[in-house]
Amino acid sequence: MDCFYAAIEVRDRPELAGKPVGVGGARDRRGVLTTCNYEARKFGVHSAMPTFMALQRCPNLILLPTRFDVYRRESATIRAVLRRFSPLVEPLSLDEAYLDVTEHRGAPGPLAHVIRELIFRKTKLTASAGIGPNKLIAKIASDMNKPNGQCEVAVEQVPAFMAALPVRKLWGIGQVTEQKLQRLGVETCSDLQRFSRAELCDHFGRFGLELYDQCRGLDDRPVEPDRERKSLSTEETFSSDLRTLEDCEDQLPELVDSLTADLREKEADRAVTKIFVKLKFADFTRTTIERAGLTPTLEDYRRLLHEAFARTGKHVRLLGVGVRFASTEAADQAQLALL
Amino acid sequence: MKFSVTKEKLLEGLQQVQNVVSTRTTLPILSNVLLQASGNEVHLTTTDLDVGVRGSFEANVDREGATTLPARRLFTIIRELPSSEIQIEVDGKNAASIRSGQSFFKILGLPEEEFPPLPKFEGAKSVTIPQKALRDGLRKTAYAISTDETRYVLNGVLFSLKDNKLTLVATDGRRLAMVDLDLEFPRSHESDIIVPTKAVTELQRLLTEEGDVKVSFGSGQIAFDLNNTLLVSKLIEGNYPNYRQVIPSETKERVTLERETFLNSLRRVSLLASDKSNSIKLNFSKNNIDITANTPEVGEAKESLPVAYKGRDFSIAFNPEFFMAPLRNLSEDEVFLDLIDEMSPGVLKIQTPFLYVLMPMRISS
Repeated sequence: MDCFYAAIEVRDRPELAGKPVGVGGARDRRGVLTTCNYEARKFGVHSAMPTFMALQRCPNLILLPTRFDVYRRESATIRAVLRRFSPLVEPLSLDEAYLDVTEHRGAPGPLAHVIRELIFRKTKLTASAGIGPNKLIAKIASDMNKPNGQCEVAVEQVPAFMAALPVRKLWGIGQVTEQKLQRLGVETCSDLQRFSRAELCDHFGRFGLELYDQCRGLDDRPVEPDRERKSLSTEETFSSDLRTLEDCEDQLPELVDSLTADLREKEADRAVTKIFVKLKFADFTRTTIERAGLTPTLEDYRRLLHEAFARTGKHVRLLGVGVRFASTEAADQAQLALL
Repeated sequence: MKFSVTKEKLLEGLQQVQNVVSTRTTLPILSNVLLQASGNEVHLTTTDLDVGVRGSFEANVDREGATTLPARRLFTIIRELPSSEIQIEVDGKNAASIRSGQSFFKILGLPEEEFPPLPKFEGAKSVTIPQKALRDGLRKTAYAISTDETRYVLNGVLFSLKDNKLTLVATDGRRLAMVDLDLEFPRSHESDIIVPTKAVTELQRLLTEEGDVKVSFGSGQIAFDLNNTLLVSKLIEGNYPNYRQVIPSETKERVTLERETFLNSLRRVSLLASDKSNSIKLNFSKNNIDITANTPEVGEAKESLPVAYKGRDFSIAFNPEFFMAPLRNLSEDEVFLDLIDEMSPGVLKIQTPFLYVLMPMRISS
């Protein structure tokens, strides 16, 4: 969507049309703008800019508070439109989503046009689209003809499209990496393509592997409609069955360690609602015990393990530990930001 | 290469390095552990190109040499071996024969030359920190690291060296944890460096209560030398946000809380925090806090906590998980909670230089 929050505010207050408008970032605090419209951008104002700086550049900037309930409602309307064309919709934020239309009959360019038209009819808001063979290309292309435009990059156009692209358009390249690339004489993706995998790894570590693929327009990530993980677990099947509760207990620290590391890496700020222990027995029957209010610690898992083991007393061939998460969608909106 | 070793020593050695190994990688060599046998020890090295760990164990080395073997597979095999005595022999084609009791395994490795070298440090700055102090400092901060990849400068712990202090900071943009450690170093060593999450996690695993850790850093790299084990990591490049500006300079109300009692109350009440809003409310009144939560169509919870409080009556909402995380990781009996109003950040403090700034949630009517 084009300047989503600001566009909604201007739509709802027609008297603001044509004037520079910023959303978020109260004047009296050290806030930052959530977004602003194109009129404001002409003054060099942009989203995430501290409010005082935005006002310096554009003293006539009209500052409005955010109305997330309204934005969420519009977002739901837009997602419903998208889902009419494909079940594979992966929202990135309230106003951005990937849509996999591989299975859709008809050419994707005209299809994007129809979708944008329909969004406008339902919401009176304009959207821009990028059409490409993968998520990387589609995302970059969506920025090309903003606002209210679209850009299609066909498979055969990918090499030319990528070659001319400035590296800063790639995912994960900020100011610092861009400067580092400049020192290496790299401005565009075609410059970057001259480097081997090993050279890129030397300079950028594991990110080098990603860069190698990205600058060639390669990306095999699927469009994942349900991005929010509902649970996370670690389990292990043992080559010889665990016969006693003590045998099982011996294996627990390593499993819990590995789960903790996984949690830390992938879902550190999710609220854990339940923890569970899963046992599969020598006769391939299984049992899972889960409980709310416990924490994913060795101590609590040991308690659950005792209960789970006591259910049958059979020899154990697989032991697993895991957590279930609370859904975050609504909570994210109520949490105030510090930084 | 040929050596024999006890199962315990080999397992311990592998455990120190195996977490770094990436399970899904486009470079197969990164799934392997580098083994180098010489003298009376075997060195083990793993890396994912961002983080690398090098450790060693004592062994009877019959023939010196080096190879790389699939780390996870090796670990699971060794763990299951029946006898305490293990002999490993590697041929010229990097095939390893593992013998123990009546068991025999053969696993195929890759040549040593393909293994990416750990970075060398030249002219790096270094400081020495007691392991216990660093371990304690990371425990008090690391849980606040952001996992949001779009804010990659927050995907680690800031090590800020300034005025003979090491300040550790972690934040995810909604809460922030900070610890100050006294440390002597020359002014020329003053720096702000961001150590990525994975390195922090590994470091926490390796740090013990005893001895020192030598920290060397320079040109985008950091190394932690813990006597027998070396952890090397790339630093996160970028500027850490100005965290000082979000620490409130004033406070209106302060309450002293018994950490465990408060944590237990929060944990109980949060059972009824709805999945959707995921918030609990603290309702302050004279000498009392009511902690409440409710889930529409499910029910509600309330617990009263007597405290010394003389300020105005007001309510403030927090994400219970964000509140419990520091309480779980502190060991002090008493914590202080400083508040201003329902829309301003709360600050948790203890007697020593630590603070945790937490933004409240909007209270829905």
